[in-house]
Amino acid sequence: MVEIAAVGIVKRYGGLVANNGVSLQAERGEIHGVMGENGAGKTTLMSILFGLQEPDAGEIRLRDAPVRFRSPIEAMRAGLGMVHQSFKLFGSLTVWENIVYGAEPRRGPFVDRGAARERVAELAERHRLAVDPDARVRDLSVGVRQRIEILKALHRDARILILDEPTAVLTPPERDALFAVLKSLASDGRTVLFVTHKLHEVTAITDRITILRDGRTVVSLRTADTDAGEIVRAMTGRNINVTVEKRQAQPGEALLKSVDVTIASPSGKRVVDGVSLTVRSGEIVGIAGVAGNGQSELVEALVGLRTPDSGRVEICGRDVTGADVATRRTAGLAYIPEDRAAVGSASGATAADNLAMGFHRTAPLASGPFVDPSAFAERARALIRRFAIRIASERADVGTLSGGNLQKIVAARELSHEAPVLIAEQPTRGLDVGATEYIHEQLVAERDNGRAVLLVSAELSEILALSDRVLVMFEGRVLADLPQERADEQSIGLLMAGREAEAG
Amino acid sequence: MSRFSGTLLLGRERLRVRAVALAVGFAALAGAALILASGYDPLSAYAEIARGSLSLAALPDTLNWATPLVGMALAAAIPLRGGMVNLGGDGQLVIGGLIGALAPLFLPGAGAFGAAAGLILAGFGGGLYAALAAWGEVRHGVPMLISSLLLSYPAIGVTSYFARFPLRDVSTGLPQTLMVPSDARLHVLSGPLNVGSVLIATIALVVVFADRRTSGGYELRMRGKNARFAGYGGVRLGRQAVWTMSCSGAIAGLVGAIIVLGSQFRFIDGALVTPAYTWSGLMAALLANGEPVGTIAAALFFAALQTGGFAMQRETSVPRVLTLVLQAIVILFLAMRRGLGRRM
Repeated sequence: MVEIAAVGIVKRYGGLVANNGVSLQAERGEIHGVMGENGAGKTTLMSILFGLQEPDAGEIRLRDAPVRFRSPIEAMRAGLGMVHQSFKLFGSLTVWENIVYGAEPRRGPFVDRGAARERVAELAERHRLAVDPDARVRDLSVGVRQRIEILKALHRDARILILDEPTAVLTPPERDALFAVLKSLASDGRTVLFVTHKLHEVTAITDRITILRDGRTVVSLRTADTDAGEIVRAMTGRNINVTVEKRQAQPGEALLKSVDVTIASPSGKRVVDGVSLTVRSGEIVGIAGVAGNGQSELVEALVGLRTPDSGRVEICGRDVTGADVATRRTAGLAYIPEDRAAVGSASGATAADNLAMGFHRTAPLASGPFVDPSAFAERARALIRRFAIRIASERADVGTLSGGNLQKIVAARELSHEAPVLIAEQPTRGLDVGATEYIHEQLVAERDNGRAVLLVSAELSEILALSDRVLVMFEGRVLADLPQERADEQSIGLLMAGREAEAG
Repeated sequence: MSRFSGTLLLGRERLRVRAVALAVGFAALAGAALILASGYDPLSAYAEIARGSLSLAALPDTLNWATPLVGMALAAAIPLRGGMVNLGGDGQLVIGGLIGALAPLFLPGAGAFGAAAGLILAGFGGGLYAALAAWGEVRHGVPMLISSLLLSYPAIGVTSYFARFPLRDVSTGLPQTLMVPSDARLHVLSGPLNVGSVLIATIALVVVFADRRTSGGYELRMRGKNARFAGYGGVRLGRQAVWTMSCSGAIAGLVGAIIVLGSQFRFIDGALVTPAYTWSGLMAALLANGEPVGTIAAALFFAALQTGGFAMQRETSVPRVLTLVLQAIVILFLAMRRGLGRRM
């Protein structure tokens, strides 16, 4: 019996379509995985189900009856509960106060404290969610706080429980405990929607999986009938075979090095765990992995946007571990960041200004402390021509550009640094085939010019097409370092799922 | 179109010009309604504002009033251009004012040297004091918005103490320091105008030039558009914050010394803070989003409005508070269209 269904959900934020006809169906008593990469539209869909957002089109059906939630309160009344990525708790209040808040047992106008504490203790006991009702929330670990969130939903007798990336903040034992609880809730007849982009988690506990990509439902699978490879393909690959013409790599000296880089999250979990890698001149090293396995944090440590807790980073033989971005750029680094809008460009500024960053202190754009606006414009026009960027003029605001053209602005600027080391993070995410091909050609050209290229991509086909060596990251560690000949979709897919042994 | 006014007046900034024009128009209408409701003639009131500020006879007064206002507007605009806010103008102003009053009295050497030393030291004093707020944010994570404002109070208090106790001119009975010798006062150009106005005008030109034609100005503009982009591009954000605040504070300190050495000739407790130059300047800078030319224009507009207000009150008995109401309405309309609050 279908407990909850979303049919053809559409949600736009300005020009961005977050959900573009998403459908999902979860049966009563099943754990239903919702998978997809960052930006695939999972969180948007969940907030629509929970009444935080209203869809622009489409329908939510609860036990086959159409419903419309104008607020989370209405959704909770209908039997939904949600555990958000960031918890919504009062740190200074006790556990029981947090759990009954908004639905307190009363005696006359007063909160019945005794009944409330009893109720919380009883719930915790029944669902084996060990908590001390009288503890202050601010003193508790992340794992326990999550239990409180779940108890909050159960206190309101939620029949459908939505968990948005619940494991992102958990250590492995905490995660296993959570899974046990979810299974017992499902056998209790409750429905669990489990949002994640971690492969091994869905294969471990879900009954069925709905996979989203670019705001659409790609496929809905029965977990027992599928395998890691199929899921990875559905999540990441527009299964088109990307092929790039390239010669055998001629690797030279090591230009980018990390030694034992470790980064811990505030909760103490190691998001990057002792990563050592070397990229030599004339080669492209690809880092494969499902997004969220430590790649972004590793790159931040390499480029200087984050200081690692331990380990060392070298660029062109220079130890830059504690150095800022400026020093690393001088040492020979160019970087195409994952988020082109929030990091890679300044919307509201002109293309000329965006393309000048990093060149604005040297000739021909500057002499001494002075800059020459006509040189800014000239340089911008040349790059716009060379990279075939579709833009009205170099004086247009880059905030008006499409994703592909904005990415070309970022790539044009970074590639024209001609720096010995290039780090490209998700360089073709969201781009059409033409723009993708163009960026790929440029990356290979960089390699052939003797540069060291580190490519981080969640898109397996891209990694396979471009990389001379492939590293696979899983839960913060590099599981494998494969030369191109030994890198194939199947073995990398298994490694991305953390299944080292089977990958051989 | 010259090549750089082209790059600076495109897209959003052109929209901004339109928004400002609309806001001023609406404010004029709302003000007219207000004047009508209180039983006066709006047209003659506005005519008096115009005559009392822009006529040949009134122009020197307007420019004299505009000098500190433009200065404080620039002091606010420079950090704003980079997405930062300096709310501590008052503190930097009084520090500069006190230094300006004391340098000619206590430094050896006399005359023009005393005045020059006063101006320069006042700039340093204000700059260092403002840099303290930036350093607090960069090093210790104290939000500059708060610390710059809070640092104002000790500065005002301490300078007030000096003017009331150890340095008071005991012959007057008022909380003020001794007069600076007449040869250390700023050279008078005509009527109320002195060299201070020329100094501020020069600084205004330097700021506009630096904004458009130096790499530091470029980096600050980019930080204002997207600080993460600037940091990723290799701008050292901490150092930039400290320098930016230093420049801002230095201008504020200089304004303090110009007022003291150019028109009041002594440090009078409260005299620099009461006219609220800091806040009028901040409003002017907010109107233009920190863009220097727009900021200067807005500051001149406010100066004309405020100067004209005196004339209006004299000639039509419409109280001059109206001009402050007009200012406030302009800001409100702009905030409505653009959400200025988000910038803070």
